[in-house]
Amino acid sequence: MATNSNKTNYKLTDKDFKQMNIRSLLFNQVGWNYERMQGSGYLYLILPQLRKMYGDHTPELKKMMKMQNQFFNTSNFFNTIISGIDMAIEEKEGVNSLETVAGIKAGLMGPFAAIGDSIFAALVPAIMGAIAANMAVQGNVVGAILWMLVNFVIMWFRWIQLKFAYKQGVSLVNEMQGQLNALTDAATLLGVYVVGALAATMVNTHVIFVAHLGKMTVNLQDKIDMIMPKLVPALIVGAIYWMLGRKRMTSTKAIFIVIIVAVVLSALGIIGKA
Amino acid sequence: MGSGIAIWQVIILTIYSMYQIMDELTLQTSLSQPIWAGIIAGLVMGDLKTGLIIGGSLQLTVLGVGTFGGASKIDANSGTVMATAFAIGTGMKPEVAVAALGVPVASLMIQTDIVARFANTFFQHRIDKLIDEENYSGIERNYLYGYLPWTLSRGIPVFLALAFGGPFVRTAVDYMNTNLAWLSNGLATAGALLPAVGFAILLRYLPVKKHWPYLILGFVITAMLSTIYGNVTLLGTTIAGMNAKFTTVFANLPMLGIALIGFALAAMQYNRSVKESNLVAAQPKQNAGATDLDEQDGEIHGDEL
Repeated sequence: MATNSNKTNYKLTDKDFKQMNIRSLLFNQVGWNYERMQGSGYLYLILPQLRKMYGDHTPELKKMMKMQNQFFNTSNFFNTIISGIDMAIEEKEGVNSLETVAGIKAGLMGPFAAIGDSIFAALVPAIMGAIAANMAVQGNVVGAILWMLVNFVIMWFRWIQLKFAYKQGVSLVNEMQGQLNALTDAATLLGVYVVGALAATMVNTHVIFVAHLGKMTVNLQDKIDMIMPKLVPALIVGAIYWMLGRKRMTSTKAIFIVIIVAVVLSALGIIGKA
Repeated sequence: MGSGIAIWQVIILTIYSMYQIMDELTLQTSLSQPIWAGIIAGLVMGDLKTGLIIGGSLQLTVLGVGTFGGASKIDANSGTVMATAFAIGTGMKPEVAVAALGVPVASLMIQTDIVARFANTFFQHRIDKLIDEENYSGIERNYLYGYLPWTLSRGIPVFLALAFGGPFVRTAVDYMNTNLAWLSNGLATAGALLPAVGFAILLRYLPVKKHWPYLILGFVITAMLSTIYGNVTLLGTTIAGMNAKFTTVFANLPMLGIALIGFALAAMQYNRSVKESNLVAAQPKQNAGATDLDEQDGEIHGDEL
């Protein structure tokens, strides 16, 4: 690290993969919260590896930890695929990869959430649940045990995918040798695009205020929908983005402002949960 | 207790309900499913068969109800625990137990679930601060503190219902829904709004100024398609409710499709950047040739010396 401040000299070992996998299987989503969802979970999962890569008490480590502690939410069946690719890039490019990694995380979390949810939160429980339930109402536990066995097989896949993704990430970085700028460009573009898409689906707020003008009632949300659906969430994200750019504004202050404003506006009957 | 449920049974079932939410969040062994809730509650209460039947029938009712993007879902697990415990312990009919106890517990849990997800926001910000202080073990500790809000959010309602019965829980829920309605609605609204803070912070890490057209594209494509899909689904369920012959089911907006559009845009950008950098790389090559000549000059100079 002393010789070249931008590159890390650490290579991930099987021990690292094991540690990351244990953290993923046993502790992922423990810190899930409204603001950044699996944000701190992502950092927790790779923290020991980041410390080995950048070294304790270096400005690089602090910078990367901050970036890794931001909004993240994906399927907990596929999360380590993203971590694996991330590790491969950071190992090679070090702190230079900050924007690339932020873009890749934001860009991939949406698609993997979509695939993971439809397979593991909808399809598998529907099939295995039907088998287990039909056997259970006849007094048979075998179906439930079968379901658990299937889930252990799925866990095995969750375990092996990290190293696989890491290897793919390494060959991706090698293939794109010297094209880090192009990769960063594409990854951050995808990240920005996905955040735009998520803002339209995951900020579930709408205007519940209905104006009574004499005999006429005006439903404001209907009028807003005519201008642009999901305009309210977009304006809220834009307002908070602007607010965060103000001097002496921290994310902690911002979140208190948002909570207080939300509770007050909701109590006044202006906005509500969609 | 006087309800036919011994104190040790209350404690074990409370511990199970605390464990099941962690299982759901991490390992996903299927132990958090109603079917296992029925089996475990049945074993604890000493009647596996009744537990299996109740767990199985509740499992069938939630078939295909999954969680998407961290949204709260119907809590069939606690409903099963209640129904099994009271059916075996007091001879209450399982359907009655679900309605009298499972439903109030589930509505109390919606509130405690929101509080838990809020509480973890607090730890998230503690971690922000500990990153600045470079306190690595503190980061890990504060992350794991998340266990407390999560387990208590399930343990408290289940314990209250098992120990004090349905009337007590219903009084608590009534109080929450009338006297504290402004607060619980406000917190629900704030919870729905908070991801906006996460997105805004994340956008500060991404080059928005450079890629802003794609922010608009991502938002507008999704906003409009989700509105269309939502309206079509609504129409479908309404017509199905009026006419039994109408059996077509409309799917929700596939987010993967939205993401694939993004991938295509990113791929185009990648190709463009590669082309550009090749052009830039081609020009310095001529310069490089020139410097080679200079260097040859240099060598001559060197020879002179």
